[in-house]
Amino acid sequence: MSSPSKRREMDLMKLMLSDYKVEMINDGMQEFYVEFHGPKESPYQGGLWRIRVELPDAYPYKSPSIGFVNKIYHPNVDEMSGSVCLDVINQTWSPMFDLVNVFEVFLPQLLLYPNPSDPLNGEAAALMMRDKTAYEQRVKEYCEKYAKPEDVGAAEEGKSTDEEELSEDDYASSDEEVVGKADP
Amino acid sequence: MMFRLVKKTLVLAPILLAISFRYPFTHPYVVLLALVLVLVLITTGFGHSLHYMLPRKRNSEGGLLLQQDLHHPDPPDNDHPSPPSSLPLVSQHSNNPSQGYDVPVSGGGGSSNPTAAVSAPMGLAGEPNPVDIDEDLHSRQLAVYGRETMRRLFASNVLVSGMQGLGAEIAKNLILAGVKSVTLHDEGVVELWDLSSNFIFSEDDVGKNRALVSKPKLQDLNNAVVVSSLTTKLAKEQLSNFQAVVFTDIDLEKAIEFDDFCHTHQPPISFIKAEIRGLFGSVFCDFGPEFTVIDVDGEDPHTGIIASISNDNPALVSCVDDERLEFQDGDLVVFSEVHGMTELNDGKPRRIKNARPYSFILEEDTSGYNTYERGGIVTQVKLPKVLKFKLLKDALKDPGDFLLSDFSKFDRPPLLHLAFQALDKFLRDFGRYPVAGSENDAQSLISIATVMNDRTGDAKLEDINPKLLRHFAFGSRAILNPMAAMFGGIVGQEVVKACSGKFHPLFQFFYFDSLESLPTEIEDLSDFRPLNSRYDAQISVFGSKLQRKLEDARVFLVGSGALGCEFLKNLALMGVSCGHQGKLTVTDDDVIEKSNLSRQFLFRDWNIGQAKSTVAALAAKSINPHLNVEALQNRVGPETENVFDDDFWEKLNSVVNALDNVNARLYVDQRCLYFQKPLLESGTLGAKCNTQMVIPHLTENYGASRDPPEKQAPMCTVHSFPHNIDHCLTWARSEFEGLLEKTPAEVNAYLSNPSDYTKLMIKAGDAQARDTLEHVLECLDRERCENIEDCIAWARLRFEDYFANRVKQLIYTFPENATTSTGAPFWSAPKRFPHPLQFSASDPAHLHFVMSASILRAETFGISVPDWVKDFGKLALAVDEIIVPDFKPKKDVKIVTDEKATSLSSASVDDEAVIHVLIARLEQCRKNLTPGFRMKPIQFEKDDDTNYHMDLIAALANMRARNYSIPEVDKLKAKFIAGRIIPAIATSTAMATGLVCLELYKVVDGRHRLEDYRNTFANLALPLFSMAEPVPPKVIKHRDMSWTVWDRWVIKNNPTLRELLKWLQEKGLNAYSISCGSCLLFNSMFPKHKERMEKKVVDIAREVARLEVPHYRRHVDVVVACEDEEDNDVDVPMVSVYFR
Repeated sequence: MSSPSKRREMDLMKLMLSDYKVEMINDGMQEFYVEFHGPKESPYQGGLWRIRVELPDAYPYKSPSIGFVNKIYHPNVDEMSGSVCLDVINQTWSPMFDLVNVFEVFLPQLLLYPNPSDPLNGEAAALMMRDKTAYEQRVKEYCEKYAKPEDVGAAEEGKSTDEEELSEDDYASSDEEVVGKADP
Repeated sequence: MMFRLVKKTLVLAPILLAISFRYPFTHPYVVLLALVLVLVLITTGFGHSLHYMLPRKRNSEGGLLLQQDLHHPDPPDNDHPSPPSSLPLVSQHSNNPSQGYDVPVSGGGGSSNPTAAVSAPMGLAGEPNPVDIDEDLHSRQLAVYGRETMRRLFASNVLVSGMQGLGAEIAKNLILAGVKSVTLHDEGVVELWDLSSNFIFSEDDVGKNRALVSKPKLQDLNNAVVVSSLTTKLAKEQLSNFQAVVFTDIDLEKAIEFDDFCHTHQPPISFIKAEIRGLFGSVFCDFGPEFTVIDVDGEDPHTGIIASISNDNPALVSCVDDERLEFQDGDLVVFSEVHGMTELNDGKPRRIKNARPYSFILEEDTSGYNTYERGGIVTQVKLPKVLKFKLLKDALKDPGDFLLSDFSKFDRPPLLHLAFQALDKFLRDFGRYPVAGSENDAQSLISIATVMNDRTGDAKLEDINPKLLRHFAFGSRAILNPMAAMFGGIVGQEVVKACSGKFHPLFQFFYFDSLESLPTEIEDLSDFRPLNSRYDAQISVFGSKLQRKLEDARVFLVGSGALGCEFLKNLALMGVSCGHQGKLTVTDDDVIEKSNLSRQFLFRDWNIGQAKSTVAALAAKSINPHLNVEALQNRVGPETENVFDDDFWEKLNSVVNALDNVNARLYVDQRCLYFQKPLLESGTLGAKCNTQMVIPHLTENYGASRDPPEKQAPMCTVHSFPHNIDHCLTWARSEFEGLLEKTPAEVNAYLSNPSDYTKLMIKAGDAQARDTLEHVLECLDRERCENIEDCIAWARLRFEDYFANRVKQLIYTFPENATTSTGAPFWSAPKRFPHPLQFSASDPAHLHFVMSASILRAETFGISVPDWVKDFGKLALAVDEIIVPDFKPKKDVKIVTDEKATSLSSASVDDEAVIHVLIARLEQCRKNLTPGFRMKPIQFEKDDDTNYHMDLIAALANMRARNYSIPEVDKLKAKFIAGRIIPAIATSTAMATGLVCLELYKVVDGRHRLEDYRNTFANLALPLFSMAEPVPPKVIKHRDMSWTVWDRWVIKNNPTLRELLKWLQEKGLNAYSISCGSCLLFNSMFPKHKERMEKKVVDIAREVARLEVPHYRRHVDVVVACEDEEDNDVDVPMVSVYFR
């Protein structure tokens, strides 16, 4: 394993090499956004989320903090803050894991196999346990409403206009994105 | 109030202890040593562990009337070098409980010898009954010992005989800990040599009796302890007045006589003999024929949450995989709350074996029991243990197993056992200590040792190591400060054990040496000659050359708390930075609080509120006026790099950390790494301590190995599924912050500038903004309080919401029989099924909640609190008036399961629209407020017992615990957990600093090899001492180059990005990412970064990373991530890019 100071760089690099759209704010490596597609064969298929990734000072010894920016209906995601209660991220993180694992494995697993017995969104958990069809229906409604490409773009604009104005810096991946206000 | 599973506005602050201490998890020796220790313990007294008696308590009637009725026998031939006692002085006072502490006795009572000079205990008038623990003063220590141990300590009278450096350190630690009385005994007078190790004496004291000089200064440390002095020869009968006696300067013959008396006394008196000679030390403990240890390790009993139990012989018990079990084979456990196999709930301790991370075997035939259904908690039972100590005279001949401290010196203890006896003989034969540098004296000692060794029969040593004995002889007269600090900690802890039965005593001999601390070069023997200075003792061991280096050292001490105070004392006594060239800089941004005083011994209660570093530096200067110390109040971090600038760092010789958190340690580590300065690191946690040496190019740096991050309870657990009191307390703290700090602050933010505030909220337009606004509106509208009755009503309704409605909603959403998609029960371990509370004004716990909540609510609204609120009778009447609406569960979940339902639940309603409605309502409310109305946000302050903060947090946590049938805790325990109070005691702190200063000799000498340095992990509770060579830095090789973390690469002439990449290319390195601080300067994946190719690296750093380069600095440092020709990552050093 490489020295901790290089891990951010290596992990970011690997993430981009794996074709994830990474969007940085003023080239800072502590906090950035990654686009994430709902996994196939799940009710989340077709959804697109902007995931906020924060690398703590102690990364990779401490787990990255992961949050959904646009809404998602999921038993283990806090509907309000988008925080993820994901065991492997919050509890059993090991410095051996990296960001590619988070996006290739942990998050898809979370969306494919929600764990309603450890709910952060109790309503979603209860619905999933009682009525899987209704639950999936609700998930899809949310995807329709909140997880379209324009939602991802809109969220971005709402968040960081000020910062962008301050810096004429390149916004590596935003060029080709649809920038426009989402219609809520 | 609407039920929510998630309290959304609050970012849960996990309860984390700021790690002040590093676990030795990388340390293979620890495991080994622990194993050896366990073996030793098993062989020494295991068979008796089941019969025990409580440690004796003795009433102290008769007090310490020491002189009376004692007829001193003619002193035995005493060739002790210290001058004979010329002043038959005794300080007397009665500490008869019937007289209490209220009367400062100034004549020692009528029975005292009228000729005796008396020094009365000072400042005792008006002190509270000593049995009442001053929990503000002792909170950090209480967190280690608990109340029961503290009470035992407060009832103990201790004798410390020999008031040179070691005696003073032991007495200091005991007085800080708060025993009932400490009697200081010394017949000799202060010598110049004492000033190398004794922090009490000054040059002016030379010639005065040591005990008399010590008494007033030690008394200052803690007025609740009776400190007295005794200056005449001790007769063994006098020892009856004490529960524990410590001798630091006693010949063997006398020691054997006293030990015999103590051992056979009824009840036995704990006897400790401790001796430090130069860089060698020894401790012997005899706590009597049958001594009961109540708590062998000080750890909380381990617990586990049961997942299943087999019907088998023996039975297999498995636990949930939430947390690893920490049981060990042979442990006894009890079961509770088991459903199904209820036979196990009988409270009977059962033995286990095959302890695994998530399961164990129970030695019981459960095949006939009921089948396990669910639930259950298994808890370790800690049993007392009885130790049978040997007499000193017997143990000398048959010492048994020595407690090892360093595996590279496994053959040392028997040798030192012999050496200390030989020295005793030398003293008797010659009437003086061997002279430092005298080969004749060394030879005499070696001869004595040889003769003694030849007589020992079977135990005869093959090699008596004359070289080591020579060093032993040379230094034997010297009491060194670091050794005194270290042994003061060890012995102080042993006394605490003797008085309380808490922690496992040292059984029975411990020997230690730090020979590696000696300078590497063989010194000219004349270098050891005394210079008639206060450092003569130290010079006799290290020579005057090293002494000068110490005095001229430029040292940075980071932190002036518990470790910092001890360090300042040590450095002052060692003469570090006491020369013309020397300078000690100490910095700490903290001010003194009451809870500091029980360890941070340079502070007194009149210093509370003053800056730690300033007070400590002044106190250190009074220990040694030559100390050149500057005290600063800056926190060390990136924001103070203008204070601690390049020039400051470059001038330093070494850095001593005295910090209490990992982040600051990591920062200082990075700075030391960058400026290539040695870093002496240490930390403590309760009875544990560790030290780590970071030496440029020799060792790895502090940050190279990391401790696992502390466990944090997952959010979902804290929100809805707590299963221990920590979860409840984490929740309570976050509720406290939300109700009393965050929301009032938001209210004020809104009222201060309504238009900006609402604009911001509209712009955010998300669920969080909406939630915040809802809370602000509640505060100003429905729940606004105008008088105390409103506050009480609010508190009562909070109770209903928290402990009834929310629980009702939760069990409505997830009924007890709910199952998950897989059919497994939803409410299975570790989740606990909650029950709502029914409020009752006759339940004091309920009223306590209402009282503390309404008082604090009133504070946020600036409403004064009438006294009747604190009267439960009257409060109950007021509470009964309040009308509490019935609860109706929120049925959203049901509604949407209806297929026809099309609307989304309220949670997913358009936030922006709601925000607009909320703002409109807020604007309405604002009009009804008196102009200038503001709320008062309350910040949690744990250390004020009268502010009701901890009352509310404990009440919140305990009511929640009651919901979930979790055992409740008292306010003190709640304070430890919720206040993140780090357990701390003076002994382990003192020991850590002593160990570090033994390393400082090596650092200042500067020529030691890796194998001469030592890192230590110690746990005084076990006791365990584990010292080992530091780990070397990782060496990275590439082509014909090799480097470590200590190296840096330099590129000059202000290169462009392209030039830098080319320069790396020439080394066979393909850089894909270059960063400065946390900013990317270049990443090959970003097309736009290619435009930066022709720019100067320094300009990119300035533009992108917004780096401001100080005018004097000629370079910027960048971190390069790169690959070699085979695409393997190569970890290259930091690159310094020079641009001017």
